[in-house]
Amino acid sequence: MTGLGASAALAVLVGWVVFALLGWVASPGLSAGLGAVVGVLVVAMFRESLAVGGAVALLAPFGVMLPALAVRHVAVSLGVPMAGFGTWELVGFLVLYAVFLAAAFGVVPVDLYRFGFAPVPVAVMVLAVCAYGFVTGNWFLPLVAVLGQAAWVMGWGSSNWFDYVLHVVMWPVALVVLVGRIF
Amino acid sequence: MGAVQLVILGLGLVSLCLSIWAIRADAGLSWRFVVPEAVAPEGEPVFETVFDYTAETGQAHSPGILVREEGFTITWFEGSEEAQADVDIHYTGFERDTEGWLRGTTGLLVTRGGLARVMEPRQIVVTLGNTIENEAVRDGLYATVASVGGWAMASVVDVRAPGGQAVRGRKLNLSPVFGRSNLVKSPMVEYADGSHGLPAYFEMGSTFGVLVRLDKQGRARDTRRMDGFGKPIQPMVVPLSETRAVAFLRDFDPSRKLLVSRTEDGGQSWSRVEPMAVENPSSPVAALGLGEGRILLAVNDDGDRPEVLRLVLSEDEGESWRVLRAFEGEGALRYPMLRRLTSGEIVLAYSKGTKRGLVAHVFNQAWVAAQ
Repeated sequence: MTGLGASAALAVLVGWVVFALLGWVASPGLSAGLGAVVGVLVVAMFRESLAVGGAVALLAPFGVMLPALAVRHVAVSLGVPMAGFGTWELVGFLVLYAVFLAAAFGVVPVDLYRFGFAPVPVAVMVLAVCAYGFVTGNWFLPLVAVLGQAAWVMGWGSSNWFDYVLHVVMWPVALVVLVGRIF
Repeated sequence: MGAVQLVILGLGLVSLCLSIWAIRADAGLSWRFVVPEAVAPEGEPVFETVFDYTAETGQAHSPGILVREEGFTITWFEGSEEAQADVDIHYTGFERDTEGWLRGTTGLLVTRGGLARVMEPRQIVVTLGNTIENEAVRDGLYATVASVGGWAMASVVDVRAPGGQAVRGRKLNLSPVFGRSNLVKSPMVEYADGSHGLPAYFEMGSTFGVLVRLDKQGRARDTRRMDGFGKPIQPMVVPLSETRAVAFLRDFDPSRKLLVSRTEDGGQSWSRVEPMAVENPSSPVAALGLGEGRILLAVNDDGDRPEVLRLVLSEDEGESWRVLRAFEGEGALRYPMLRRLTSGEIVLAYSKGTKRGLVAHVFNQAWVAAQ
């Protein structure tokens, strides 16, 4: 499942990149369709290539959140109604994730990442995300948190739940979105 | 309550079920070390050099020792230069017969291409580094693997290699930063429940030692840090009792001191890493518990001369040391590794000539007692 999951996630991300690039010149529907085709073909035909192997080596574990965000972006572009993330939510995410990454580097003297290995802290965190989604009316975050928990419990990838719901490339992406929204 | 809230309530219910399942399935971890038993000296003192190897070209460095029923295997990484894209893991086996230790099969144990083909998920492997035995499973290794960039982008890979051929490789999940930067160097530590701890270290800008606890499937289940003075890396853990252990660490900064940290709770927490009185030219050490508070240490204990490696013994849990033997060569003698064999004999291996080759000695407890 680890290999299948990584291939699927990579196909989604490749497809999303194609969708984003084509979006400048083509309609969302056409961009999404071509992105899906290219994503699947690239992973199916070039899985053994240096480029795809290098992308997996660099980005894995992909987790659930990163491909889910890509799919969400495409869905919103196609007109699917979805609750967006507020500016203060982005700011909060950037601050909290920066602290989390600083802790991983030992700058903050608490190892927050290790709480993602244990079932009780993971249970508390997933329920907290569900409660947050309940209050804000946003089902996307609870869905990713629970899907990540399911994959984590099944042992389909990382042994740490955080790897399913966070990815380090989310920080610069969120920063770009925030800057674009403010300016 | 709207449809969205109902969906989220359903997700919460699913999460509760998953949590109950995960909590019931979680075996928990024992934090009681297996303490090395004291072995009484028997027979005549024996100290022999069984391996003296120089690479024809390039570098051969960082020996690992795999303990086998019939003897042991020395592993090392070899290529044009450390961290280059032509480095593979080599091995040579040793078995004892009536004449003494015989060198047996020699060859490639793990190659970059071979490992890349069996990685889960499949991915490129650019270079290989420090490799140790996975003592929790037969024919298992932990290899330091870099797929992108240098050692700062390395990961620890759980390699299964029955018959000397890698059939599966899986990165340990030890960091949220692309699963990096973690490396191994020192042998594992056994716990009373049969599980193991893997000493590892983080090396991306900041540095610290890590004790990784592994579950029955060999997946990372917990991590505990050793941090403090300098830039501590390459922890070498020696259990002293069921709950106490000492970890010797290399300072990546040029403090010229060996570092130490201690635990009183089976490795759940570690004291602040502090410098010892023992000098060290930023080189890793090897240590072996001999039971009853005795620790054997292979250490470069001259802060200016990495070409001198000493085998020293402490009989008071590391408070004081006496020299058993000094080794001196042309170029640095570094990256020592000590393991006890099933026969009770001890193997010491290290790099010679500033990564140009390797040396391995075998000695017995009687030799230690006689020094």
